[in-house]
Amino acid sequence: MDGQCQAVIDSCIQQFRAGTLDEEKLRNALDWLTVNGTGHQDLLYLQAGSAAVSSQVVGMFTVEDGEIDEGPPDPDDWPYQSVLDALKDGWRIIKFPELALLLDDTKLHGPGVEFILERRR
Amino acid sequence: MHTNNCEPTLTDSQVLRFCKTGYLPLIGVVPDDVNQRCVEWMDEHAPHIEPGDFANHEPSEILDEDWFVDGVILNPAAAGTVRSLLGKNFALPYQMASHRVHMPAQAYGWHRDGGSQSSHELNYLQVYYYPQDTTVEMGATAFLPGSHLYWPFGQSSAGLYGMFRGSVSSAAPAGSIFVTAYSVWHRRMKSTDSGIRNLLKYNYWRTSPPARDWIQETNFDPATASYGPGQDAVQAPRQQFLAVARMFFWLCGRDDYQALGGQGWPMASTSTVRPYGYPGDPTDPRARQHTS
Repeated sequence: MDGQCQAVIDSCIQQFRAGTLDEEKLRNALDWLTVNGTGHQDLLYLQAGSAAVSSQVVGMFTVEDGEIDEGPPDPDDWPYQSVLDALKDGWRIIKFPELALLLDDTKLHGPGVEFILERRR
Repeated sequence: MHTNNCEPTLTDSQVLRFCKTGYLPLIGVVPDDVNQRCVEWMDEHAPHIEPGDFANHEPSEILDEDWFVDGVILNPAAAGTVRSLLGKNFALPYQMASHRVHMPAQAYGWHRDGGSQSSHELNYLQVYYYPQDTTVEMGATAFLPGSHLYWPFGQSSAGLYGMFRGSVSSAAPAGSIFVTAYSVWHRRMKSTDSGIRNLLKYNYWRTSPPARDWIQETNFDPATASYGPGQDAVQAPRQQFLAVARMFFWLCGRDDYQALGGQGWPMASTSTVRPYGYPGDPTDPRARQHTS
């Protein structure tokens, strides 16, 4: 949940505690969350050195606000150096690397160890 | 089939480097007059394209031009490299692909070209020729070193990937040629410049069995050579050592050994002890007989 959604919920709780929360305010909050809380889906594709979330990111690109962004050319300037960094920044994993496809150690899977993460705005 | 049998120009170390990275740059090897003539020829024969567009057309009739065949296809540095990797009497290109871009233009996704056959065997090469100075701002092709050894990568995956750690730009002056393993991952990068960028791509094929008949270095020891992917690889799994060694030995004519496993050859070692599991000199028929 992003900061704005959290603020709406917190406001409802405060009004509930103060005894001022009524059906209209609750429906208004629900309408706001429906429109803003599940709006654009941002995607973050991270290719990692292994299936561990702490491993180094070796490739990336994002879809944010409907725009594809490959990120800076210099890996040192990428927003996240590990999947864990992205999790700490509010991204949620929606697809883990498929380990069944990575079991054969005789194959070089390259950047096949991919996490896909989402964030809604 | 037209073939050529020039002298090889690569050394053991250069062939091994190719096995690791999947490409070899030959910088500015084509004479300026040939480059200029090629650009003019392309301007006359290529279809018109608007800014932001690119044209993949096949001007194979350029292969009928003697100045192009002599200056580019049989360019001594390029042909010598091809001869080193594909052996005697390698087959010459009969088809030409032009990737002509009217800049500025968007990037194209990472891919390996259709027709790739993922293997440690090297039976054909794809060659890139820049007839004009090609900068990063002109969207010079990027390569992903070591990716020619990756497990097959379907065309449907093209465009799934963005920036990669370890990818390298082929930005280079006019007359540069990049000899690549056909299956190496590559992409056209975004261009911010204006005008036309030319790139020609074509293939050579093997017609004779692999053999270590390139330039052998007296101080090159296949037992202790480094088969690691180096710092320019995206990842450095230990399996890459095995894949690179297998490709190098296949090029030497050896495909008949079983790696010992663990820390044995061809893994990296700082020990002064000769590595266990070394299958023997790749050019020694007695070693070949011993391990077969």
